Amino acid sequence: MTSKSEQQLIEFVTSQRWFGSKTKEVAHSQVVDQAVLREDDPRLVLLLVEIRFDTGTHETYQLLADDSLDALTDPRNVRELVSLIRQGIKLPAADGVVEFGAISGFSAELREAHPIEAEQSNTSIVFDDELILKVFRRLEAGINPELELLRFLTEHDFPNVAQLVGWYSYAGRQMDATLGILQRFVVGRDGWEHALDTMGDGSEGFIASTRGLGEVIGRMHSTLASDPNDPNFCPEETSAESLGLLTATVDEEIESVFLDLPENVPELDPIRGRGEEVRERLRQLTNLGGAGRVIRHHGDLHLGQTLWADGEWVVLDFEGEPARSLPERRRKRSPLRDVAGMLRSFAYAASASPLLRGVEPPDGWEDRAREQFLEGYRAAVDQSLVPSGSGMDRLLRVFELEKAVYELRYELNNRPDWVRIPVAGIQRMLEDHVPV
Amino acid sequence: MTEPGNWFERDPLWFKRAVFYEIHLRGFNDGNDDGSGDFRGLTDKLDYLQWLGIDCLWLLPCFPSPLRDGGYDISDFFSIHPDYGNVEDFTYFVDQAHQRGMRVIADLVMNHTSADHPWFQQSRTEPDGPYGDWYVWGDDDTRWSEARIIFLDTEPSNWTWDPVRGQYYWHRFFSHQPDLNYDNPEVQEQMLNVLRFWLDLGLDGFRLDAVPYLYERDGTNGENLPETHAFLRRVRAEVDARYSDRVLLAEANQWPSDVVQYFGDGDECHMAFHFPVMPRMFMALRREDALPMVEILESTPPIPENAQWGLFLRNHDELTLEMVTDDERDYLYEEYAKDPRMKLNLGIRRRLAPLLDNGRDEIQLMHAILFSLPGSPVIYYGDEIGMGDNIFLGDRDGVRTPMQWTGDRNGGFSRADFQQLYLPPLMDPVYGFQAVNVEAQLRQPNSLLRWLHRLIALRKDHPVFGLGTYEALRPENPRIFAHVRMYEDDIVLCVHNLARSAQAVELDLSRWEGFVPEEMFGRTRFPRIGELPYLLTMAPRGFFWFQLRKDGEE
Repeated sequence: MTSKSEQQLIEFVTSQRWFGSKTKEVAHSQVVDQAVLREDDPRLVLLLVEIRFDTGTHETYQLLADDSLDALTDPRNVRELVSLIRQGIKLPAADGVVEFGAISGFSAELREAHPIEAEQSNTSIVFDDELILKVFRRLEAGINPELELLRFLTEHDFPNVAQLVGWYSYAGRQMDATLGILQRFVVGRDGWEHALDTMGDGSEGFIASTRGLGEVIGRMHSTLASDPNDPNFCPEETSAESLGLLTATVDEEIESVFLDLPENVPELDPIRGRGEEVRERLRQLTNLGGAGRVIRHHGDLHLGQTLWADGEWVVLDFEGEPARSLPERRRKRSPLRDVAGMLRSFAYAASASPLLRGVEPPDGWEDRAREQFLEGYRAAVDQSLVPSGSGMDRLLRVFELEKAVYELRYELNNRPDWVRIPVAGIQRMLEDHVPV
Repeated sequence: MTEPGNWFERDPLWFKRAVFYEIHLRGFNDGNDDGSGDFRGLTDKLDYLQWLGIDCLWLLPCFPSPLRDGGYDISDFFSIHPDYGNVEDFTYFVDQAHQRGMRVIADLVMNHTSADHPWFQQSRTEPDGPYGDWYVWGDDDTRWSEARIIFLDTEPSNWTWDPVRGQYYWHRFFSHQPDLNYDNPEVQEQMLNVLRFWLDLGLDGFRLDAVPYLYERDGTNGENLPETHAFLRRVRAEVDARYSDRVLLAEANQWPSDVVQYFGDGDECHMAFHFPVMPRMFMALRREDALPMVEILESTPPIPENAQWGLFLRNHDELTLEMVTDDERDYLYEEYAKDPRMKLNLGIRRRLAPLLDNGRDEIQLMHAILFSLPGSPVIYYGDEIGMGDNIFLGDRDGVRTPMQWTGDRNGGFSRADFQQLYLPPLMDPVYGFQAVNVEAQLRQPNSLLRWLHRLIALRKDHPVFGLGTYEALRPENPRIFAHVRMYEDDIVLCVHNLARSAQAVELDLSRWEGFVPEEMFGRTRFPRIGELPYLLTMAPRGFFWFQLRKDGEE
């Protein structure tokens, strides 16, 4: 396996969808550690591959290789991984150890394995519609928030998640890192598709379910804030300068996105040259008395991270925004970030429907979805976590703005056709009144 | 791995790319409302330090101490000063910092203890007891007279008479800080136990205070002795054998040719402060002349690959003028210490902003130069918002006043009564907490704090600043300090105008003909480099950092 040349490693990694740094120039790559997961032919090897950029920074990726560098396309290899998790064993790496851990919920022999559409930062494989294995590709030192949050929610009997079944991780000279998780596979309709489906069939099915979605997210936040004895999860009061920190963080994101706006994208015209206006709007919004409390939260919540299953909502994917560093993703922040993410997602659905399905959303669709969702959320969330009165509306706007700016950068890099959605969102926020 | 103890990717050279932040614990944030900063308070501010982009926190001494020298007089090496909390508070803080991607090093004084330390008390009362030989005793107070007196303003001699034991004891600093006797192997072993104790609790290293003075030898000035280096090699070997990714930072206020010995062959300290460069930066700025800086960097010997200079503009001590000539010292006193109260020992006890007359351009230029030099920058708490000092407070307390978080009571530092505060916060109209505080500067896009945040982020995107080569350009215009840093494929050109007036400069960049300079903050592309000298016009006290890109690169 180590016979693969540096060039082959670079070509493979940089051509993958989960490779996060497509805008950077790769200079070198090397295998920094490896572990044999199966001796029998064809050998299955886990590789930690370091990709170095021209400025001397680097990222580390997980590869699973047999004869090819993409062994996860072969179901036998994936079954091997799950079997190792079930056994809960430790395997030596050249310079560390790969540890597999089982929690519960294994059924009998696994048969069918099929990959599902690749995510930004990982590869997921489903077994018999019962279990799903998620292999993290970009590795960072420390526990992955997905393992941390799923375990917490599973242990605290929060029902609306796909339960954690097992995990595997690496501990070695290079770093300690979560490599992957195994969880129950929940059969359901992706929340995003559910929204688009019902928009098309003229039913109010989705709108009717958004209140329930708000309640689920509210209860999820209350659960995440429920353990004062766990320092990783106990809610914290915001400090005197935390609103300042929030303002500075969002303001710098706005400044940097506007600095990088490409010249030749006409979709950007409605907001081009208006960076200062956006920043001024942010300053108005952050003149707040308080910001509620900060907690661990989902971190990247949108409709695509939910499932509509038998009339119940299930929340998925607790990794956080893949473009942010792990310490950043683990930071406690206001739960309203998640709420804002969902509100932005409603805007996305309304704008995407004509693009994807050729269906105009019914009048007021987005407004009704927002209203219902917020009503459900307010009813369910622990009131001490969020600011009261108009403070909540203003803080929500701040996070919606943060999200829209993040979306703008993401779409510019990945889906230029969708740029006009965050552009419309930012434009609308400039024209809306500031809640008083 | 369900609970990793390690939140960092392995990187034995992390300290070469790191930005350090020096914290006076007592003055940073009060978590228990008693008027004095503590670990709980500091832990509450970690989000701020994470946002700022700090890689490593350096704590001033936090051990039990009678505090007659800001905690550099340690009376127990295995505990935490009760004003700051306890060992549990300390380990919780270190873990919380680690989880946020920040490391922690702490000040440790190996040379001496407080006179209150039980070791010294037993040494003076029981000359034949187990601690009888732990300090340097003598019947003759004229021995080693070649050794200079460091605290000239307070100490007449390096010897002080102890009426209890009936002998003189040796002290290179205050008379209440007796030197430990490193010729005694038990002392050496115990000091290694101290290091292990804190490293085992997760500490990432030490800033070793006053290392040149560990031994005394006849006919020498007692500084930088071979025995001292041998002991440091033993410390390093111990740390390397048992721990990974830790750092030893030497405080040796010496000339570069002496300081580099503290790196050994890469087998003593990982880092050492470059003291002489700092007064020369201030001199260069006043004289509008790059030469003092260019010269001191030229006379700095090369250091091992695995070693790094620590660089700073200001710290918790006076701006030390030991490493300049008498003429240069007179000049610096004249320019920067107009009030005699501003002088202390051989130095100037002022913070950065007042030294630079609170000039925003000057403060930024000095930071830009600091961040562009080969070495790891250290920011002194409060200097990121341009805090002032109080020259009416004694000793070095004037630069150790409470951190200014908000415009509220006590500057947001403490909820205690004003009278309870360990020192009064600054309240003058220019530097007081109502004018200068973190909260306000976070909200002002053009504040010094926000600017410094961008500078730190930029530096961290470019390992070249920590790892790259340094080459001075020496343009004809002496007011311009220009140099090139190179690491792997990253080439960075740094040009700084030391003058109060706009300047033009021609740089010989013919080696990079065909490259395109891209200004690093705004990512504006400048004209392609051709055969002729490259002409730049510089704003007063302005600077440019360019990444030199091959033509056609994105």
